[in-house]
Amino acid sequence: MSLDSSFKRFMLFGRPAEGGALRAAGRDTRIDMVRGLALLIIFINHMPGNVVSAYMPNNFGFSDAADAFVLLAGVSATFAYGGLIETRGFSIAALKLGGRLWTLYIAHLAVFILVCGVIAVAVTQTQNPLYIEAINIQPFFRDTGEALIGALTLTYQPSYLDILPLYIVLLALFPAIYYGVRLSPALTLFCSLAIWQVALALDLHLPNSGGHWFFNPFAWQVIFTLGVILGRSVQLGVTMPRLRWLDAAAVAFLLFAWLVKIPTGNPTGVALLNDWFDSVQLGSDKTNLAWSRLFHLGALAWLVIRWLPAGGMLTRSVVGRALACSGRNSLHVFCVGIVLAIIGQIVLAETSFALDVQLLLCAGGVTLLTGLGIFLSWYRSITSRDQRAEPAKAPGVASSAQARLPSFSSR
Amino acid sequence: MQAFQPVLPAARKAMQETGRLTVVALGSSTTAGSGASAEDRSYPFVLQTELRRRLPGAEVRVLNKGVGGQSAYDMLLRMDTDVIEEKPSIVIWQTVVNDAIRDIGTEKLTKILRKGIAKARAAGIDMILMDLPWLPREERYPQLDDYRAVLTKTAEQQGAALFPRYAMMKGWSRSKQFTEEELVGMDGLHLVDAGYRCLASRIADGIFAAVGDIRIRTVSKKAETVD
Repeated sequence: MSLDSSFKRFMLFGRPAEGGALRAAGRDTRIDMVRGLALLIIFINHMPGNVVSAYMPNNFGFSDAADAFVLLAGVSATFAYGGLIETRGFSIAALKLGGRLWTLYIAHLAVFILVCGVIAVAVTQTQNPLYIEAINIQPFFRDTGEALIGALTLTYQPSYLDILPLYIVLLALFPAIYYGVRLSPALTLFCSLAIWQVALALDLHLPNSGGHWFFNPFAWQVIFTLGVILGRSVQLGVTMPRLRWLDAAAVAFLLFAWLVKIPTGNPTGVALLNDWFDSVQLGSDKTNLAWSRLFHLGALAWLVIRWLPAGGMLTRSVVGRALACSGRNSLHVFCVGIVLAIIGQIVLAETSFALDVQLLLCAGGVTLLTGLGIFLSWYRSITSRDQRAEPAKAPGVASSAQARLPSFSSR
Repeated sequence: MQAFQPVLPAARKAMQETGRLTVVALGSSTTAGSGASAEDRSYPFVLQTELRRRLPGAEVRVLNKGVGGQSAYDMLLRMDTDVIEEKPSIVIWQTVVNDAIRDIGTEKLTKILRKGIAKARAAGIDMILMDLPWLPREERYPQLDDYRAVLTKTAEQQGAALFPRYAMMKGWSRSKQFTEEELVGMDGLHLVDAGYRCLASRIADGIFAAVGDIRIRTVSKKAETVD
């Protein structure tokens, strides 16, 4: 059977590759590496107005680090909780998932309180009110009680504190998406796209102090679902078909995006396209996602899968391994990155955006975050040394558990 | 100090024909009312009270569509549902501060403002743009002046009225009419109650001057029919 039809069988019926057994998905260094890179880009972009942020990918294409981060969150969730559903059953996986959701929630609240504290100190020390404006933290100072309830119920998200709530909602949806993908990835993707478009048409949003969530979960679930499908295909050993034309199309689309984002205005001179150019250049719709973002991310992901080999030079290089360490500890690095970026914003303003300070902040922050990732990886390795025996016995346990457990798939 | 004498043909016409004046206050945190001790003391609320006082007999509504932290682009996206669907005759757009902090690019900002103004104009709504606030120690944001220039220039070129908030606040700070705390409150930017009242009164004066004489005729006509 050709690769092509095995891919079709997977997309339509969720079938594994011929003879491909369920893989105990080990960590794919590429995923951790890209995640680590996305975290650093998010950090740089969260200090707007610094020179380095002008060179970040969102200036050269439709999608940005957030899109990649959510896609990889879907992939990682599939490896972690999808794998657990297969080997130990739904209840254990659900318990683990619940524990993770709780951790994310507490992390979000901790970052919220840290950020409020940082801003309170900054404003009282510097008398600069714009710090409150920049983070949209005034509801907290205006009516602390109400804002606290808003923070606890995720209905008040200051600027930059909007990614974790999205992640919490998406991860909570994971079991539903995963069972859908087991049945039929194509059908699940269709439903996911339909939910997005219906939500757009009906203007469905979750509330956020006067406005709505910066990342609309009804839209962003599409990217997460794509991640789950991708993760499931790896889990089942399905290889992507080698489509040269799709490689070419992906490269062409990335080039096209680059050509559209670089100039200001409409270089084609076709009046009909003016509005489209404006909508893409002035700020492609991040709240509700946009087809241009989705295609751009798809093209990037396709090329990475096709041309960045899992054990290749890049992933084995020092930089690759350092980034992977950050990616492997993404929650910690993300949370610290948010707080550091907001401190960075204050330092930037207090130094009137001096160039050397800008560069120092970017370099210092990146070093700190990468260092944190490396430290946490090392810390984990020394604290789990005594449990070393466990992984060796895991595959056997996994396969026997698998045989015993009822399977929902159409196999 | 710069005068605020807007020309508001749509508002004037609406007052003349229906005796109704609907104003939408579109903006970020200054509009949403942060810093004021209660939401009913936000500037749009005070503006409504002040306009009603100046225009007795007219049906005056000021709708608060302020969402903290929003950029000009975020508000442009809200223009259809939050402004045009409310069918106001005036929209007061308070913006640019977040775009200046984030340094989104002056060219980009010019385009966004133009689009917003054009949208309001196409819907037959008079646009009043609110100037940036005056800040103590402005050198923190070296780019702030450029963004202010874009705001004032675009308003002028597109024929939108500009409410001179910057000049007004700077004047207050010089004249020592208010202590710094009174003017800017604990957070230094957001007007506290006294500041909101003054801001709203000045806007109400301008709007009243632009539509006011119509009101007198409407009211007297009403009075006649009642008699």
